[in-house]
Amino acid sequence: MAEELVLDTAIRDWVLIPLSVVMVLIGVLRHFVAKLMRSNQTLDAKIVKEGQVIVRARNLRAGANFIPLKSFRARKVYYNNEENGLLHVPKGQAQNPQAQMFSDPNMAMDMMKKNLSMIIPQTLTFAWVNFFFSGFVTAKIPFPLTQRFRSMLQNGIDLSTVDVSYVSSRSWYFLNLFGLRGLFSLILGEENATDDTQRMMQMGGFGFDPSKSLSAEKDGLDIVQHEWALPKFEKRAENVLRKLVG
Amino acid sequence: MAVGRDEKKVTDDLEIFSADNLQSNMKIIYYSRTFLSIISGVIAGILGLTGLTGFIFYFLVMAITSVGLMAKANFSVHAYFTSWNQIIVDGFLSGLMSFVLFWTFAYDIVHIF
Repeated sequence: MAEELVLDTAIRDWVLIPLSVVMVLIGVLRHFVAKLMRSNQTLDAKIVKEGQVIVRARNLRAGANFIPLKSFRARKVYYNNEENGLLHVPKGQAQNPQAQMFSDPNMAMDMMKKNLSMIIPQTLTFAWVNFFFSGFVTAKIPFPLTQRFRSMLQNGIDLSTVDVSYVSSRSWYFLNLFGLRGLFSLILGEENATDDTQRMMQMGGFGFDPSKSLSAEKDGLDIVQHEWALPKFEKRAENVLRKLVG
Repeated sequence: MAVGRDEKKVTDDLEIFSADNLQSNMKIIYYSRTFLSIISGVIAGILGLTGLTGFIFYFLVMAITSVGLMAKANFSVHAYFTSWNQIIVDGFLSGLMSFVLFWTFAYDIVHIF
């Protein structure tokens, strides 16, 4: 590095550390606020029933090889037959998910709450960082980068002569935003509310159609190749026992 | 960093395993990798590693983690996971982001001011 910048220690004490700590605390706060606002909605009995049927069919599919062929067939017919099988959905009865959404205001409300709990803190922290800490170098990445990263890392500084590895406070905010995800999953547990990418995925799959998953499960059950596993297990058990004895 | 129970057994052509246990094993791998990437980031920062040495340090730590996880699984990986990739590759990139962040953080606090 040609020229080393000398940074004021006050920047460390009053910008770098507070900013990081605040980011962590806001993540924790957001997690608990989201937990608090999650309304325990009463579920429709029909939807619960369909979900349970799907779970049962899935279990059957997973455990197909542990029951004799005859039993498997009987269960398959129970789920799949075209007249009154549990997984059979009569045509035209499939509910339009859009209509379902509007008929249930709770659902839309829930989605809005989730979105708000994500957007509001982010906007606020960004505004806070912008207002107090804009326009100076806060940190330095310990590895060299090419010029292309300048716009990413020195967001808010308009100097082209500063080495690219110096990071502005606004960019430090973004680095924190992405890098702290791992820490959050450690301290907040599995289903923390800060995982934005997963949120997006959920939004994409929003308004899922139960009848669709019913028929998908039906198709899955149809193509299962049954092969009873237990006869082989006797041999396996014999081998294990022989090894133990011998 | 305890590896979950052994419930998965491989027979000749049929795979029998408990999905829950597999998932819990995966989760444990993910946690230990994240934890170690954060810790190694802080260590690298305090030691003042820069440039390539830091990344080599990360690779080294991850390799040691892989070996440690394998040792925990008694080197019979197929009893706990479906493939070798899960124990070696998974959680590598997501840990890198945390590593870089904490590396930078510790390095800045200790060295540049």
